[in-house]
Amino acid sequence: MIPSSAGTVAGLLLWGTVVGVDLVSFPQGLLSRPLVAGAGAGLILGDAALGLQVGLVLELFALDVLPVGAARYPDYGPGVVGAVLLASGHDMEHSLGLATLFGLGFSMLGGWSLQLLRQANGRTIQRYAAGLAAGDAATVAAIQYRGLARDSLRSLLLTAGAIGAAAFLQPRLPESERFVLVSAVAIGSGVAAALGGALRNAGHGARLRWLGAGAGVGLLLAVLW
Amino acid sequence: MTSGLLRAFFRLWAVQGSWNYERMTGVGLGFAAEPLLEDLKSADPTRHAEAAVRSAEYFNSHPYLAGVALGALVRAEYDQVPGAQIARLRSALTSPLGALGDQFFWAGLAPATIAAAIVGVVAGKGVWALLVALLLYNAVRIGTGIWALRTGLASGTRVGATLGKSWLPRTVPLVGYLAAALVGVALPLAVDWFLDRQSPNGHLLLIGTIPVVLVAVWILGPRVTSARFGLAAIGFAALIAWGLS
Repeated sequence: MIPSSAGTVAGLLLWGTVVGVDLVSFPQGLLSRPLVAGAGAGLILGDAALGLQVGLVLELFALDVLPVGAARYPDYGPGVVGAVLLASGHDMEHSLGLATLFGLGFSMLGGWSLQLLRQANGRTIQRYAAGLAAGDAATVAAIQYRGLARDSLRSLLLTAGAIGAAAFLQPRLPESERFVLVSAVAIGSGVAAALGGALRNAGHGARLRWLGAGAGVGLLLAVLW
Repeated sequence: MTSGLLRAFFRLWAVQGSWNYERMTGVGLGFAAEPLLEDLKSADPTRHAEAAVRSAEYFNSHPYLAGVALGALVRAEYDQVPGAQIARLRSALTSPLGALGDQFFWAGLAPATIAAAIVGVVAGKGVWALLVALLLYNAVRIGTGIWALRTGLASGTRVGATLGKSWLPRTVPLVGYLAAALVGVALPLAVDWFLDRQSPNGHLLLIGTIPVVLVAVWILGPRVTSARFGLAAIGFAALIAWGLS
């Protein structure tokens, strides 16, 4: 299902830009989380369940990441939008693994683009050094607005790249039964990533016991449901 | 000083808008400080000019708690605290606000919210589960932001002691337990949800992949993140599937 209307493409572009900017710049309200970004993309494409499935696998990988300060971390949002588009119109069992691969690849690219953005912001700071040294409010505002505009452009370009690549690959996605196994590896890897992150955060104290207790409840519910 | 409070609060939402390696969130904090410093311009223009320079210098903290520092630094400017002392306060607030915020939000409330949303999604609540989770998370985030700015403005240079006695340090472990428990609940349910949607011939591989990736990432160490290893593992599986199809 390649997006047939300009409205759908514009909606995906806008959503991808919003979730990309949300990660660091504004408003940091968890919109950039893969589960949220995926659900939004699914809704725009008219298939929220599709967005939730793709978003959930990529969310498992994201649960391993702490977006702390100067650390380099992936930017999942725009890639997830592309991944949902890639999986659309296909049987999820076959396409989920390849969509995850696509989303992870673009999230790495997004993380790299954040480094470029920070370097570009640094160059702006140097260019406006005199205004900053004078305490000029207009200079401070100009740097801030340029940073926000730059991040919006970064997110827009990343989303456009993800949508373009997904639209090109989507009709060429193989439908072979063997790709069910790729989906299984993707889900298993995601669960391992989330579990690894949870164990690392839990350490050896009380938090680990809470994790164990939660897992026990989760297993029980999985059996009962 | 209170006239620009609302503008400063909203500007704090974009405190990382020009994040860079030179001043980190310093310029963002200066941008948010500007409306709060406006009254100082007419009362003491010299002091205002000095304060404006200081407000955009190097700073970094958790973005949601930057209001604590903003409020405290602005209050210190109005209280005519010496510039060197304000610079020390700015520097001293960086680590505790970063650590508290990272522990409370990034390692606590955010994973707890997402895990709760996952439980809701696998329970069949779909997008509504996400909406409720997002609303609750952002309600806490906005409430904390308002509290942070008010606490900073009320405390000035005493903000460290005020912060230490506040609800925040006491709540950090509790939110951590909540996050651990909810992630613990969510993971088996997510696996079960996916097993229901995958044909049985993939089940063994799905379950088998979990310990293999977990052990491999543990052996390979922090340089190979699970996302990178996952990318390699899925790519390898895709190549095999392509070759066999």
